[in-house]
Amino acid sequence: MNRTMTIAEMTLRETVRRRGVLVLLLVLPLAFYLGRRGDHLGQSIRFVCLGLAWVLSAAALFVGSAARSLEPRLRLSGYATHQLFLGRLLALWTLGLALSTPYFLLIRFDQHDVRYGAIAVIMLLGVLVAPLLGLALSALLPRDLEGMLVLMTVVGLQMILDPAGNAARLLPFWFSREIGTYAIDHTSVGYLDRGLLHGAVTAGLLLVLVAVGFGVRLRRRPHVKIVGGLS
Amino acid sequence: MRHEIWLAALTDELRRHGIGPDLAAHVVAEAAGHLRDSGEAPLRAFGPPSAYAAAVADSVGPLAVSSAVGPVRLRAVDIRKRYGRRTVLSGVSLTLHAGQVAAVVGANGSGKSTFLRICAGLAGADGGHVELHGTVGYCPQAGGTADFLLADEHFALIGAGRGLPRAAAQREGAGRAAALDWVPGDAQARHLSGGTRQKLNLVLAGLGDPDVLLLDEPYQGFDRGTYLDFWHEVWRWRDAGRAVVVVTHLLNQLDRVDVVLDLSAGSTGVAA
Amino acid sequence: MLDLCVLGLLARGDSYGYELAQSLQSAGLGTIQGGTLYPVLLRLQRSGLVTVYWREGGGGPARKYYTISAAGLAVVRDAASQWAAFAGGVGAILQERTAR
Repeated sequence: MNRTMTIAEMTLRETVRRRGVLVLLLVLPLAFYLGRRGDHLGQSIRFVCLGLAWVLSAAALFVGSAARSLEPRLRLSGYATHQLFLGRLLALWTLGLALSTPYFLLIRFDQHDVRYGAIAVIMLLGVLVAPLLGLALSALLPRDLEGMLVLMTVVGLQMILDPAGNAARLLPFWFSREIGTYAIDHTSVGYLDRGLLHGAVTAGLLLVLVAVGFGVRLRRRPHVKIVGGLS
Repeated sequence: MRHEIWLAALTDELRRHGIGPDLAAHVVAEAAGHLRDSGEAPLRAFGPPSAYAAAVADSVGPLAVSSAVGPVRLRAVDIRKRYGRRTVLSGVSLTLHAGQVAAVVGANGSGKSTFLRICAGLAGADGGHVELHGTVGYCPQAGGTADFLLADEHFALIGAGRGLPRAAAQREGAGRAAALDWVPGDAQARHLSGGTRQKLNLVLAGLGDPDVLLLDEPYQGFDRGTYLDFWHEVWRWRDAGRAVVVVTHLLNQLDRVDVVLDLSAGSTGVAA
Repeated sequence: MLDLCVLGLLARGDSYGYELAQSLQSAGLGTIQGGTLYPVLLRLQRSGLVTVYWREGGGGPARKYYTISAAGLAVVRDAASQWAAFAGGVGAILQERTAR
């Protein structure tokens, strides 16, 4: 526990020191929000939620890549693989909550006639899923660039594809569109349920992906036998 | 007055050359007496402090090679590695006991770093196996630090992995840094010079006193004094019963290591 | 060579570094700098040919004195006889040459 918390703390310290990145993280969803605020209030909510999910995934991707060169050494120093990715996730989830809160307050006071509770649920699920997606990409792809291209494709498709189609359900943030419809257009509770289920399943799958990705990359090579040291 | 500066510098250099405090005090007192009697300038009578310390170190001979060899700490047997069709390591073996220092030498591209990474379990091998007895400290040639963290935070991070409380880890880190003539300050790792970052790297490798130290040319960017400090630290580890592997292309310390593993083409690549 | 000269001087009696340097100079060996002399003394000490002790100097701090050991005396005796033979040989050749 202490080791996981230490990783979380150091990840937060590192991230907070990247001032420029923090400002961009905070401002980008605002641009998404203001971009559609004039013509379609509901659409601006959908966009800001996607924007948050996107910047959080990107932040996770970069946190994962930045830690790459250090992680083998941390493994050798006694950290277990799950402590490494859980620590990073804890830090990213904290960061996600901090970034999302001002946007929730903005919607709370700027928008009327929407289900605020459901919007909070979208944001919480986004905070849960986005860091998992970013970290999974950083674990599976060799470099930042490839990860970033995949992220842009995912978010681009998310905006283009008709949420009612089956293909859209394969995208990681489909729950955001579905619960968004429930919150903005006051549709039946079925939308909320489907969204919740989709978010939970996505989070579970991505967590498995992160664990496998980290586990393979930081595996103990079979030729090494350690006697009486760390496991 | 100028004598005192020279004598202080001599004291430092003697320490760097591995001269014990008693003998160093005698050498300094004798030099001071000579300067007083002769009234000569120290540079004229003795030359630069570093050169005189080196002459003294030569006269008292190499550090006694510890005869008490401990249990096996590292055993690499018949390690083979290919990159594509190029064979980098073909059946390399190395056995190292507690209280021994091994130097891995060879030309660029002869697989020195690869061999060390295989020993650490950071890279896979195409054949052979490695036995490690105890905990391992690894110092890469570059990287291995987090750009946005302070030195103290690095100590806490690696220390937590080794099960050290934070205060203890930071105290130990500061002590090991002082042995390399470095006082860690409030600078993030990305703002440190190349040599200083390597000092951080080296301190991290030794944190928590691992049983086996694997050091991959850790002295890149060190000045001459720090380079000597580094070897001094290596002898201290050896005297404390650690097993140390140093990848190096510099040959002038080879007479003071216990095992030399030469990976140059044509050599057998076996050391025991 | 310097090792032998230093040993020879110490065979006459105990001495300390600066005094030895002066004796070497007055014996016609030129100026021997401290940076050369003391490492020689350390080597002799390490190989057991001399032993050392510290003695309070006149008013000043303690000085390190060197005493030749039995092994050192043996080395000096050996060297002296070898040197005499060598010098005799060289002398004979040189004289022969000048006599022609």
